[in-house]
Amino acid sequence: MSSMRGLVQFIADLRNARARELEEKRVNKELANIRQKFKGGSLNGYQKKKYVCKLLYVYIQGYDVDFGHLEAVNLISSTKYSEKQIGYLAVTLFFHEQHELLHLVVNSIRKDLLDHNELNNCLALHAVANVGGREMGEALSTDVHRLLISPTSKAFVKKKAALTLLRLYRKYPGIVQIEWAERIISLMDDADMGVTLSVTSLVMALVQDKPEEYRGSYVKAAQRLKRIVVENDVAPDYLYYRVPCPWIQVKLLRLLQYYPPSEDSHVREIIRESLQQIMNIAMDTPKNVQQNNAQNAVLFEAINLLIHLDTEHSLMMQVSSRLGKYIQSRETNVRYLGLEAMTHFAARAETLDPIKKHQNIILGSLRDRDISVRRKGLDLIYSMCDTTNAGPIVNELLRYLQTADYGIREEMVLKVAILTEKYATDAQWYIDMTLKLLSLAGDHVNDEVWQRVIQIVTNNEELQAYAAHTLLNYLKADCHESLVKIGCYVLGEFGHLIADNQGSSPIEQFLALQAKMITSTDNTRAMILSSFIKFVNLFPEIKPQLLHIFRLYSHSPDSELQQRAFEYLSLATLPTDDLLRTVCDEMPPFSERASILLSRLHQKTAGTTDKKTWVVGGKDANQDKKEVLMAQNTGLKRTFTTIVNGTNAGTNGTAASPASSATGDLAGLDLSASSAPPPPNMASAAHLTPDWDIGYNRLYFKGQGVLFEDAQIQVGLRSEYRGHIGVVKVYISNKSTFPIGSLTTTLDNRAAPNLKIDTKSLPDSSLSAAGQTQQTFFIEAHGPFTDAPTIRISYLAGALQAYTLQLPVLMHRYMEPSTLSAEEFFKRWRQIGGSPLEAQNTFGVVAKAKDINETFTRQTVEGFGWRIVDNVDPNPKNIVGCAVYHFATGKTGCLLRLEPNYEKMMYRITIRATQEAVPQALAKQMEQKLAQGSTSDHYA
Amino acid sequence: MIPRVLTWGSEHLVTAKYSRRLAKWFTTLSPKEKAKIIKDVTQLVLSRRTRMCNFLEYKDSKVVYRRYASLFFIAGCASTDNELITLEVVHRYVEQMDKYYGNVCELDIIFNFQKAYFILDELLLAGEMQESSKKNVLRCISQQDSLEDMEVSY
Repeated sequence: MSSMRGLVQFIADLRNARARELEEKRVNKELANIRQKFKGGSLNGYQKKKYVCKLLYVYIQGYDVDFGHLEAVNLISSTKYSEKQIGYLAVTLFFHEQHELLHLVVNSIRKDLLDHNELNNCLALHAVANVGGREMGEALSTDVHRLLISPTSKAFVKKKAALTLLRLYRKYPGIVQIEWAERIISLMDDADMGVTLSVTSLVMALVQDKPEEYRGSYVKAAQRLKRIVVENDVAPDYLYYRVPCPWIQVKLLRLLQYYPPSEDSHVREIIRESLQQIMNIAMDTPKNVQQNNAQNAVLFEAINLLIHLDTEHSLMMQVSSRLGKYIQSRETNVRYLGLEAMTHFAARAETLDPIKKHQNIILGSLRDRDISVRRKGLDLIYSMCDTTNAGPIVNELLRYLQTADYGIREEMVLKVAILTEKYATDAQWYIDMTLKLLSLAGDHVNDEVWQRVIQIVTNNEELQAYAAHTLLNYLKADCHESLVKIGCYVLGEFGHLIADNQGSSPIEQFLALQAKMITSTDNTRAMILSSFIKFVNLFPEIKPQLLHIFRLYSHSPDSELQQRAFEYLSLATLPTDDLLRTVCDEMPPFSERASILLSRLHQKTAGTTDKKTWVVGGKDANQDKKEVLMAQNTGLKRTFTTIVNGTNAGTNGTAASPASSATGDLAGLDLSASSAPPPPNMASAAHLTPDWDIGYNRLYFKGQGVLFEDAQIQVGLRSEYRGHIGVVKVYISNKSTFPIGSLTTTLDNRAAPNLKIDTKSLPDSSLSAAGQTQQTFFIEAHGPFTDAPTIRISYLAGALQAYTLQLPVLMHRYMEPSTLSAEEFFKRWRQIGGSPLEAQNTFGVVAKAKDINETFTRQTVEGFGWRIVDNVDPNPKNIVGCAVYHFATGKTGCLLRLEPNYEKMMYRITIRATQEAVPQALAKQMEQKLAQGSTSDHYA
Repeated sequence: MIPRVLTWGSEHLVTAKYSRRLAKWFTTLSPKEKAKIIKDVTQLVLSRRTRMCNFLEYKDSKVVYRRYASLFFIAGCASTDNELITLEVVHRYVEQMDKYYGNVCELDIIFNFQKAYFILDELLLAGEMQESSKKNVLRCISQQDSLEDMEVSY
């Protein structure tokens, strides 16, 4: 490395400065000097570079540098690499994406992106990746994309282009075009690990917004993971302390969590193998900290995937026993991650029992010496709570609250408040715990917490008297202001319910509140005044004392208090109390809306860039999409099994169903409900490749043959059907003289769920010249269907090539001829009867068809699997047939009557079957085939 | 998974004063916001004792830090990010500098701060791991160096 002597001297000077003032002096002197030099204007490249470097150092030390930006921009267009490099560094440090000078560099950046020198490409990409915003993205994204996909790009340019595109996408998603998807996914197969790593990061961001367009990445991720983890297919350079590139492993494992578990048994199997292998490797004792961390980084991500999949029960058993050990680990990082993983588990698990086994250890984590661990412990305790353990857990949390860190208290109070409300089985317990919580928590209480208590008490009759009684006791002693707020409200509304009890007479209630007025804030005083006007209505016997207070406060320096007191005074001294009674009428129940506590809790976690696949909280919280969207539909009306005043739980209503208004409010927040048109599915029948139908028609009735062929590839098919099951093998051969890469197949099954397709194997992703690979599908009929599945085959041969072909798999594959005598036929025909078990169509052949004749008709009918029964129909030209259609849950008998009119080139088809929808689907399919006539060469 | 910031600086053990050496931001923030985050986070990190875990929560994100002698390396990331792998990103960066400078010390970073940035650009881009092969990163940097040497000798 070459150094600039002036710069080294300058840095040494600053380091030797004994005091900040001396340092500042030296800096100012240097800044003045540089300003002078720049003004002079006759500097060469080296000098400019040196001075910009000094400015950078000054800037890094925290000083303001408000000049020299133009000189930095000039350096970018220098022909010397070292000058250009410093220019770019200065731009990335001095500028931000909205900087006014940024537009000056866009052209220089474009020039460097197009340059044939890769090092210049890289500098330009760095600059865009560091300061690029929407404007830059719109100007340069196509150039960046070109560097990413060009077959001539070097690996080290490609990976930078991928991440630069990621930056631009984050700033403005519009810059990534829909058509890029397939090409970008194919790069996940790149031979260079750096490229795969970078492209995977890009794909992960895209997948979260556009899961459908990037669906192909799922299988790619599963395959790549297996190759790395199971087959150990990693260059030695990418072993990190014996762990095969942990970064890519973590990314692939995370990507798999962005989709629901695969339906394909083969894909599930590959993922299972990788997960099992990761579990096994984690049993090795690591040799050093790095290996330990890398291994655990992968392990915990794998655990998260396992929990997400929720299907691998045997692996899950292993995990849950290991998690029990992790939360007791001596290593703080492992304890922290163990608690975090267990919280994820609690969010998904059917039963909390495996977690409850460790309840004491988890409660103990609240006393861990590290606050990071204590926070995680709190999250887990909150998530593992249910009706059976709410009592001890809330007790323990209340005990801990008194010694808890200030930073954590507010969240704790919120969580305890939610738990007491959610799992209360006893009204008294709810009131006792919540009030104790408020008295212990002191100032660390959000307004939402005490407001929520008021709402609950108001809406639940059985709580009111007990709440008023308990609150009065608190008020008589020294208590926190939040209790005063609840107290005055509850007494104002429900004080009369306890007025006959000893120690709770109106005057005692009044005195208790009056005593609190002195020490309270104005806000609370105002609330107490409002309670007093309610007292005037409830307890006329203490009216003189109340009026006295109003008079007193009508002179308050606080205008709000003054006005309130004055208005209340007038209201209380009106000649009749009609108005007073109306005003102080009992409050109606609060409307059922999303809990203010939950929305408060989730406010904190909202706004992260990564898609959260789960929220802290139990399974019920996570099953509720709306809670995942920040709020939940807990009704204000709670069900308590033990009711204080003895009324039946039924009359109090079970937890009310979510008000539709709440759902309506949230609809606007639902990010997944987009109004944009669905993304194009390139594997669908709408994108069939020209000439796809030649092979399709040729193989319509045949089991094997060539489905598609051109100069580069050949796609062959071999299939066999038995009953409702079909095994279809697709053979892909590379006919060219060079290898192809990233071979990808995507199946589109429009007939699901009546046609079930399971992938049994995947094709090799790279194919040598003249090589062949195959893929096997199990295709099962589960009912009638009319749409044949389509397959998208894509690969890289320089550019991306792709074909969409239709597979000749329709109902006829599952038809079996059956023999009936004429008599039986008529009997069955009559038994089945007409609609809906009959379908009848009359149709002509399509214009371009040349001819229909008896041979063609009979061959087609037999091709569909009918046994032709002769001498049934009085008209010998008509064809009568019987067959059985097989599907997974049974079979259905089908009867056919086909009346051809060869002169007019028309048919009338009638099909009856013992199951609905079958005749319609069959008739439609036969019509399609017959209407083509005998033009197709395979009948010749 | 966006590390939002990677900053490294040292603590003068005696005065417990932390002086920032370098910082790299991957999100756009105003200088004021940046200053506040640096101040808050360094305070949090410096108050941690040994054998505590390497992660802590800060607002809605997470801080992953590690100490190398008197130098602290602090990375900020999203709360959903994988903590340990972020920690190893930091370690890989330190190793990379070690390999480049040959037993790196604080002074190397101070006097060749621009190199510290160039190495980081080869390792992380847009806040994501770009290259985990030590050899590949080193090859890129030495390529740059030899180009620079050539230009100087002209």
